[in-house]
Amino acid sequence: MRKPLGIPGQRTVWPMIILFTLPAFLIYFRFLLLPIFQSIGVSFFTGSGMSPGEFAGLDNYRKLLTMNPYKTRFWNAFRNNLVFFGIVMVIQNGFGFFMAVLLTRPGKGIHTVRILTFLPTTLSVIVVGFLFNMMLNPTWGIFNELLSFLGLESLIRPWLGEPRTALTMISIAVSWQFLGESILFYAAGIDSINPEILEAGRIDGVNFLQEIRHIILPSLIPIVGIVTIMIFMGDFTQFDIVYAMTTTRGNPVYGTDIFGSLFYRAAFQSPARDGWGVGMGATVSTIMSLLVFLGVSLWLFFFHRQKKRFFLE
Amino acid sequence: MKKRIRVGGAGLLVLFLLTILGLSPLFAGGAKDTGGENTVTFTSWRTEDIQRMGQINARFMSENPGIKVVFSPISDQEYDAQVQASVMSGVGAEILFVRSYDPGKVFYDNGLLEPLNTLLPDLKNFPEAAKGAWSADGTIYAIPFVGVTHGVYYNKGIFRKHGLNPPETWDQFINVCRTLKEKGETVFAQGTQEGWPLYEVIFSGLGANFYGGEASRQKLLAGDLRLTDTPFVRAFEKVMELQPFFPAGYQAIDYVSMQQMFGTGNAAMFIGGSWEIGIFEDLGLGDDLGWFAPPVEKAGDRLQYCFHVDAGIGLSKGNSGNEAALSYLEWTASPEFAQLFMDQLPGFFAYTPGDYNLSNPVAAKMINAAQNADLTVRTVWQDLSAQVPSGNGLMEEALVLMYNGSITPRQAAEKVQKGLDSWYPAFK
Repeated sequence: MRKPLGIPGQRTVWPMIILFTLPAFLIYFRFLLLPIFQSIGVSFFTGSGMSPGEFAGLDNYRKLLTMNPYKTRFWNAFRNNLVFFGIVMVIQNGFGFFMAVLLTRPGKGIHTVRILTFLPTTLSVIVVGFLFNMMLNPTWGIFNELLSFLGLESLIRPWLGEPRTALTMISIAVSWQFLGESILFYAAGIDSINPEILEAGRIDGVNFLQEIRHIILPSLIPIVGIVTIMIFMGDFTQFDIVYAMTTTRGNPVYGTDIFGSLFYRAAFQSPARDGWGVGMGATVSTIMSLLVFLGVSLWLFFFHRQKKRFFLE
Repeated sequence: MKKRIRVGGAGLLVLFLLTILGLSPLFAGGAKDTGGENTVTFTSWRTEDIQRMGQINARFMSENPGIKVVFSPISDQEYDAQVQASVMSGVGAEILFVRSYDPGKVFYDNGLLEPLNTLLPDLKNFPEAAKGAWSADGTIYAIPFVGVTHGVYYNKGIFRKHGLNPPETWDQFINVCRTLKEKGETVFAQGTQEGWPLYEVIFSGLGANFYGGEASRQKLLAGDLRLTDTPFVRAFEKVMELQPFFPAGYQAIDYVSMQQMFGTGNAAMFIGGSWEIGIFEDLGLGDDLGWFAPPVEKAGDRLQYCFHVDAGIGLSKGNSGNEAALSYLEWTASPEFAQLFMDQLPGFFAYTPGDYNLSNPVAAKMINAAQNADLTVRTVWQDLSAQVPSGNGLMEEALVLMYNGSITPRQAAEKVQKGLDSWYPAFK
């Protein structure tokens, strides 16, 4: 028989549970759920500036996906967001994992290095954007100076002036800032592996790579999933770094325009400055949320299956 | 006892519910009260003006002891959205800067601004052209306050060093550029990472002399000329002639870096707007700061001068009976306010009728250039940027692509025209 909730010997306290959770739920509803529903609602209206106009049904969605210039901007932001996500994934997930493996090896000063890797995460994105802007500046930036010092003049280019390199640079800036977060997660995972398992492996003669492949990686699979979802959600709702480094226009010529900047411009700028009105802005944000929701759901679904397979092998 | 606790708990819960669900209106009401009846909030998109506006408003407050004016600007990029959201929810500033033509008209169309015709009858004395930038169907929704000009700043020290004089014609201008480049100087502190300076300052400012200024702009608005017609294509071609003189890596230089480069003496020239005088003075150029008007094609040609309508001052909705706000608004339409503003912020030129003394020599040069010129505004600002894709956005994109070598000047003109063809009635 199920044990009733509450203090032993007393009646079920469901009314009390409701009473205590209701305030939190109300705050959650008023400040999170309701605005989301309101935003979705606004996407069904026309409107210039911040005022919703007439009911337009699904017209905003049709315009966004099929009509120029909306569709060009939308698909451009989608493509840029995928590239952005891809680069961040490689650096934060791949590089972060190997850094964590190295930083969990015994060694002098390793603990300090582990702390230092987390430092950039504590900075504001605006500060990070400003720092990278300064370093990449073609006139006084240290990056081109460094290339020149190393005799690599042929590699010097206007990093934030060409769409492809600019997108790569903002991806690197974000990855640099949040690499510490991935390392923290992976290192914590590695720390929690039973040392006896690692020791047994070593006695059996596994080398470094085999240890990673057969002991560390299988133990960290759930963390890989969490880090990937965090990167995915963070990157598909990212705005700050574009705002800080290449403005809300996603300079140069929309080369770094991602969903966050497209939504901001569409919703909050006047038509003269590339704004589409609050209705279209809400449409962009609704699709953005849908994509994140779908992406996370798909990832969880496949990840769950892969995890089972991995462990069964 | 238990029942009383339950009733009390339920009561508290209902109160909590009402508070949570009704929080926004409560906040809205509260914010209005915080300043008191005689506090007037004035907002603009120029966050750099806080100190200077404070000094201007101090004069008003000393003359009107019962009114406190708070200058609370919002950053340029967020201005339109924040003003609309705050005024619509009843917590916005009473007095606000309003952009000219369509971006400002959006405020009026959304019911954010009070009509001023009857509140400020003296507006009838303001220049008609300026009033046109802040009115709809005869209703003036903002005081036509200030305009800005565009031209070329130069470093007098660098020019002196190489024995150069400010050019008057385009050929002289190109020769000056060549000489400076040969002497190893950075000719222009110009970058193309951001599109708006290319369109608003370089094309509208320097290109106007080649596309025929205001006369051609009016024909463009009427659909009698297109951007693909010779005068406009020629303007694209001429401004493109400056590209070889841009600094290394110009594609990645943003607006602030451009200003820093010129303001710190690291470039000989900067094609810019009059609003930048203060910035360059603050960066330490001092007496070395020189300026010349956009070079004309041939000696003796009349200057086509982009004297753009920049900022109007509006009264937010619901304040037509607010005595303190009205009193301040009236003052902003006076020559006293205009003179103080121009003294504190050189490079802004008031439309307010009156006799003014411009103490800043660079600002005086800019206004003098207007005496023998045909005045115009930015090429596709009026009407042509009312819808998507906006003329402004199209010009910015096309000019960045042109300067970065992806398209030719003709293709740039075609790109903008194609975008406008999709919605502008006169082109359909």
